[in-house]
Amino acid sequence: MTHTVLTFISKVKPDQTDRLGPLLDEINKDPESNKYIPFRSLGLLHFASLVLHQSPDTPEYGPYLIFENNFDGELDDYLKDLYVHASSGLHQIYSACLDYTVTSPSDRQGIIAYLKDHVVLPNAYHIGNTGRSVTRILQEQVLHDALEAHADTLVERGQPASPGDLLANFQQFVRDDQKWSWIPGVGPRQTFMEQFANWSKFILAIVIALVLLPIWIVPFVICMLVLRYKESTDPVQQSLADSTNVRQLLEKENQTKIVQNHMASITIVKPGRLRRVALWTVLWAVNLLARARATHGELSGIPSIHFAHWSMIDDGRRLLFLSNFDGSWENYLDDFIDKAAVGLTGVWSNTLNFPRTYFLIFGGAKDGPRFKAVARDGQTITNAWYSAYRDQTVQGIDNNSSIREDLLKPLDATGAMALLQRL
Amino acid sequence: MAELERKDIQGIVVSAYKHLPCAVFLLLRVKNAQPSRTWLAQMATEVMASEAKDETLSINIAFTYSGLKNLGLGQDALDAFSLPFQEGMAAPYRARLLGDNEENAPTGWDWGAPNNPVDVLLMIYGKDEATLNAALEREQKALPAGGVELVKILSAQRQPNTHEHFGFADGIGQPVMAGTGNKQRQLQRTHHATELPVGEFLLGHPNVYGVIAPSPAVKAADDSQNLLPEIPADAAGLNAEAGMHDLGRNGSYLVFRQLAQRVAQFWQFLDKATCTANGASNPGARDRLGAKFVGRYKSGAPLVLSPEHDNPALGNENNFTYYPKDPDGLKCPIGSHVRRCNPRDSLGPDPATALNSANRHRLLRRGRSYGPPQENPLVDDGAERGLHFMCLNSDIERQFEFVQQTWVSNPVFNGLDGEVDPLVGDLLRGDSIFTVQAEPLRRRVEGLSRFVVTKGGSYFFLPGVQALKYLASLRS
Repeated sequence: MTHTVLTFISKVKPDQTDRLGPLLDEINKDPESNKYIPFRSLGLLHFASLVLHQSPDTPEYGPYLIFENNFDGELDDYLKDLYVHASSGLHQIYSACLDYTVTSPSDRQGIIAYLKDHVVLPNAYHIGNTGRSVTRILQEQVLHDALEAHADTLVERGQPASPGDLLANFQQFVRDDQKWSWIPGVGPRQTFMEQFANWSKFILAIVIALVLLPIWIVPFVICMLVLRYKESTDPVQQSLADSTNVRQLLEKENQTKIVQNHMASITIVKPGRLRRVALWTVLWAVNLLARARATHGELSGIPSIHFAHWSMIDDGRRLLFLSNFDGSWENYLDDFIDKAAVGLTGVWSNTLNFPRTYFLIFGGAKDGPRFKAVARDGQTITNAWYSAYRDQTVQGIDNNSSIREDLLKPLDATGAMALLQRL
Repeated sequence: MAELERKDIQGIVVSAYKHLPCAVFLLLRVKNAQPSRTWLAQMATEVMASEAKDETLSINIAFTYSGLKNLGLGQDALDAFSLPFQEGMAAPYRARLLGDNEENAPTGWDWGAPNNPVDVLLMIYGKDEATLNAALEREQKALPAGGVELVKILSAQRQPNTHEHFGFADGIGQPVMAGTGNKQRQLQRTHHATELPVGEFLLGHPNVYGVIAPSPAVKAADDSQNLLPEIPADAAGLNAEAGMHDLGRNGSYLVFRQLAQRVAQFWQFLDKATCTANGASNPGARDRLGAKFVGRYKSGAPLVLSPEHDNPALGNENNFTYYPKDPDGLKCPIGSHVRRCNPRDSLGPDPATALNSANRHRLLRRGRSYGPPQENPLVDDGAERGLHFMCLNSDIERQFEFVQQTWVSNPVFNGLDGEVDPLVGDLLRGDSIFTVQAEPLRRRVEGLSRFVVTKGGSYFFLPGVQALKYLASLRS
């Protein structure tokens, strides 16, 4: 099972932002079943967000509408589904956009063609729960809850039992009920071929890079020296984060009992071709690495990202970052600093005001207060956000999958104990 | 490392005043700037800096955002303070992340909410009741009529020992600030000391990232008497350029929360959860489940080191981590209070990285219990009692709020599912659970209610002595 991670990006008619903003707010009040895009009806969708971005710092770009989608399978199937459930809503939303010429929501081909024209595929992305479809994640959660409840009754009864006996009891519990008959039929998270293909690309890239070393090493060294000079003089963040922006962001964060949050950020790439090339290259490497290595729930040691994308937009002059993550913003940023500072500095050091770096990847994010101020200033309001499983973490979903995968296996006492400890 | 500027640092930063067992906290409101500043100039001479050690009495002082504003501090300077301090603890989204919902909501607070704000916190510590009461009387008389108004007097209870009202030893695990000399003392007392850079607790000094902890500064022109130190070129920080004058230096953010403890409800709940099949109390099991909630026994002995029974010999022991001895919470539950408040090396696959990350979120706790001790913990006597929780940190978001949000009230903390800290978490009425990890199967204790209720609170700025003089010298 593969996922598709993409955005639709459109320019908004400046006189339409006042209409579009409240519309998106209305979606956000009831993301599951609002009248525009009732996201819960989209059975393939994991996370979606709508961002209406207009920055006073960059008036030349005008207002943008960024529609983030993270879904199961291929774009065509998803678009069909999206159109069926949201044709009228899509038409109302995109009527606010500059090059939208469709005149009626019943123009199926027109709307789908418009969306396809505006697809922006990310330069790099990360998926926390590789290979798990929405259906599977929700099913495994229901199973997990049922097993927890069953465990409560077993504990209540207080019968001492060996791990083997207990496991047998759980297996019987599942076999006795027809509604769990789907359990044995679920495929692996990733097939061998999928893993093999990703690793092959990764290794092939390294081999090619080594073979071509004599050709690129001299230009590379020159570029690094130029970069070293530039980064010693580039301006860095000098002020606390803009409090008006932070207040608006905080209003939206940590709704209900926080389990998940969303972050949208648009930053300006530093001037000059060299920075654009450096950013493109780093993102390419991040993506290669993420495909091959980050398939077990963690991206460079960060265990809390469901879906994240990096896209260079506006001919590489701006960097869009979208992330659906577990826990608080502070925790997310601290994880970045403590566990992934090199990778993230490699990416964002190419954008304006980033803390002082050395050779592109060192320093930078290690300056915690400055890094957080830059991150907040680059962040833009997420107008509407949907998650198909708001109370679940990446690690919790992985745990549910592991339970489901092992539950019906014949296990020895150690294996049985390990499984019981997952409850 | 440079010497601490002890003359400029208020005493509470380096000492919890254990030798001064009596304390009272005055919450004040600034009604008129000029007489208030005259009063403050006098207070600046009475405030105990950390260079001296008075064996009988000590006074410290701190201000909220509205306090600084009402004293006449300019808007530019006010804007240079950190956002949580500017907004205060009761701002709706801060209340949300702190778990101050329902019964805890600021609308029900006795003080610190928008409808009953406070400006100044005066902390008086004395060696006995007589000394304290004399000082209290004197300070109350010194308040200029029409200038500074008394809002509330919060008395702390004389501490017979270091146990909080639920009956557990408290204040064992504390980080120490570099340069104070507290490390040796802590090592002797608890066999462990986590020493952190000065900038974790004092503004204007290098913090745990090796950069200057953001500190509010004023333009040189706004400090014509040169009361504040000039920021050197190598110590410029956010909103604090070289050449400006450092208003925050040697100051700290003081978080104050008045937390009422429902002692009888706590022990009655544990009693019910552990009673035998015929409904009889089981004191041993009750104490044991209480210890599972807390993560230490009443004596203070950590469950990790003594999983089966209390061991008073380990009462002050703090030399342990979770990863090697108890990665799965079988000894000390993952959701227990002390494990949530300081998870040490337990979050994440690599213990060294986890410990390093956890130490970015430490607090210097300075709290005191209030209200009479409860004779019989199982019988409600109707009296209010609790903890005046106080802590010092240089970054409210990264330290206090982080602990409260990401650890204490996080329903999915470290792989848990739908539960919060059993003592101070945002417990829904009768609808919360607590998981006791065990082999072969965990036990989920159900039906927890709030045992601790927020009664008031504010974020304060505890200035350095020079900054205090500067505030007293303002003209507006």
